[in-house]
Amino acid sequence: MMLREPARVVEVNPLGNMTTPLTGEELMANNPYRPWPARITSITDLTPTEKLFEFRLIDERIREAFRHEPGQFVELSLFGVGEAPISISSSPSKRGFIELCVRRAGRFTEALHAMQCGDIVGIRGPFGRGFPFERMKHHDILLVAGGLGIAPLRSLINNIHDERSEFGKVTIIYGSRSPSEVMFRDQFEMWRHRKDFDLYLTVDHPDDTWDGEVGLVTKPFEHLELDARHTYGAVCGPPVMYRFVIDEMRKKGIEYDHIYCSFERHMKCGMGKCGHCQIGHQYVCIDGPVFNYWEAKNIQGSM
Amino acid sequence: MLYRVIDAEERDALVSAFMQEYEVVAPVKRGRGYVFDVIESPDEIAYDYSTTTASLKKYLLPPRETLMTFNAVDNCITEHAECIPPRVIFGAHACDINAINRLDQVFRDGRYPDPYYTARREATLVVGMSCMPTDDCFCHLWDADEARFGYDLFLHDIGGRYLVSISSVEAANILEAACNPRVATDEDRSDFRQATRTRQLSFNQNIPDIQDVAMLMDAFHKDEFWDELGGRCLSCSACAAVCPTCFCFDLQDRLSPDGTQGERYRVWDACTSPQFAEVAGGHNFRPDGRERVRHRMYHKLNGFLANYDRMLCVGCGRCVSACKADINPIRVLEFFEEKGSEHDA
Repeated sequence: MMLREPARVVEVNPLGNMTTPLTGEELMANNPYRPWPARITSITDLTPTEKLFEFRLIDERIREAFRHEPGQFVELSLFGVGEAPISISSSPSKRGFIELCVRRAGRFTEALHAMQCGDIVGIRGPFGRGFPFERMKHHDILLVAGGLGIAPLRSLINNIHDERSEFGKVTIIYGSRSPSEVMFRDQFEMWRHRKDFDLYLTVDHPDDTWDGEVGLVTKPFEHLELDARHTYGAVCGPPVMYRFVIDEMRKKGIEYDHIYCSFERHMKCGMGKCGHCQIGHQYVCIDGPVFNYWEAKNIQGSM
Repeated sequence: MLYRVIDAEERDALVSAFMQEYEVVAPVKRGRGYVFDVIESPDEIAYDYSTTTASLKKYLLPPRETLMTFNAVDNCITEHAECIPPRVIFGAHACDINAINRLDQVFRDGRYPDPYYTARREATLVVGMSCMPTDDCFCHLWDADEARFGYDLFLHDIGGRYLVSISSVEAANILEAACNPRVATDEDRSDFRQATRTRQLSFNQNIPDIQDVAMLMDAFHKDEFWDELGGRCLSCSACAAVCPTCFCFDLQDRLSPDGTQGERYRVWDACTSPQFAEVAGGHNFRPDGRERVRHRMYHKLNGFLANYDRMLCVGCGRCVSACKADINPIRVLEFFEEKGSEHDA
């Protein structure tokens, strides 16, 4: 007996049903794997290995629907090279544009660094859970960034700056290996000058021009005074940094669930499916990337 | 659940009726084992198969699947449609239906429904079939020896006839047209009870029943046992390939030889593969087998439970025969059993 031709055939089309007008939200939900074209509108060299890219989504409906919270990430596509999860570096208040701070670290970022203004990439997202911005309001804030960890924290810092009067004392500790690796220095110096933030820039290896602090990112804690019961901490940096910084925050008396850390993993799908970003029972892409320390302690293998 | 009884001889007529309208996938004998494959005649079906070497997931999550095609010159996605034949999976055992139910939770029912999976799932009917456990089966430990939903029909063998649980209208109509389903008698009902009881009593009693395994996975997370178990992992990922609930994947791009056109596709991946948890710049969060094997077991026996209130492992026993290094959940259960009996000694 021969197999008959199937009576009906079901189709999946990544372009989706475009005949009926859809909102940006509906378009994105139609196929969450589909990247949306975005144009590079600005590229700024930050260090010899890091650049700040500014993108603008081309489809107006998507651009309108794209809203993020500080700490979230997007999946950036370079067709033919692949896709990579990159945390958003701009404040949610900067509508219409998305800034990503990217270190040249592999094949994908190599290709991105070779691109120019006007070039087209693909973006889908935003994904994940960011910092609890609303809950952090009316508190003092202690932000600690190590190296490229400044990228996701910059979104939070800028957002706090937008609504500066909603927050108490804001202290930023930002550690780099050497002065040439310090990013956004002008912006920080301006804020320091205007007394918007208490700023500690530290480097491990100073040169002759360096007039900031020298030592690990934990060093400024020695003379840091804070009202621990009314302080939220935020940490982002290389994996080795977390334990030391969190220890210092705990020693100062900041509560377990008031310390927020952003975790780096390779989120390939961004939607809690592909498994690459799993830690214990959690998916960094949907449960994080921002976790408070209490949650992190309850995830097997988080630190 | 609506149920009717059909005679065993009517089975082939039911399969033939499905074949009129669907591609039918069923267990067939292949070499020394069994596989799920497309059949061309009901005669090919091995109704009394034990467990197939690989699972059914390939019909819902193909090993390699194109998600989109693109023009790499102007960086835009091009028209691409994946055609999915309406399909009947005939003869799935309860553990495999429970495995599909778990995939449904991740790919169909969550916050981000996966359009590719969902289209395949919606085009698929599942006809289940009761079975008897092999020595490697432990589905009963995780409550997966019975399929409560996730199928269209389920054929319970009650000796010379089947008690058929009927779940969908689509399948009910085909059953009605192809067979003479009759109302169950008292004898049918007591034979059904007898059959399920016989199955429940036939599980390998040497596999320890550890119901608090999830908590134990946390409690013994740093135990030396994992060095020993994971130390012998060959990173071949055969466990993940045969597992009906291993769903991890990788997304990759491929370009045409002239570099102008390309496709984005997904392929099966496994957390037991060495590069799985590597991030840009080369840092690897699970660099050795010990951590990878522990992570996989943790997801199967604790992690999924924490999120979805059921074990990810369905106890099908496939990894027990697939792993050349004798790493499987039964070894984990035996370790906990040993820990529990230390005080008795």
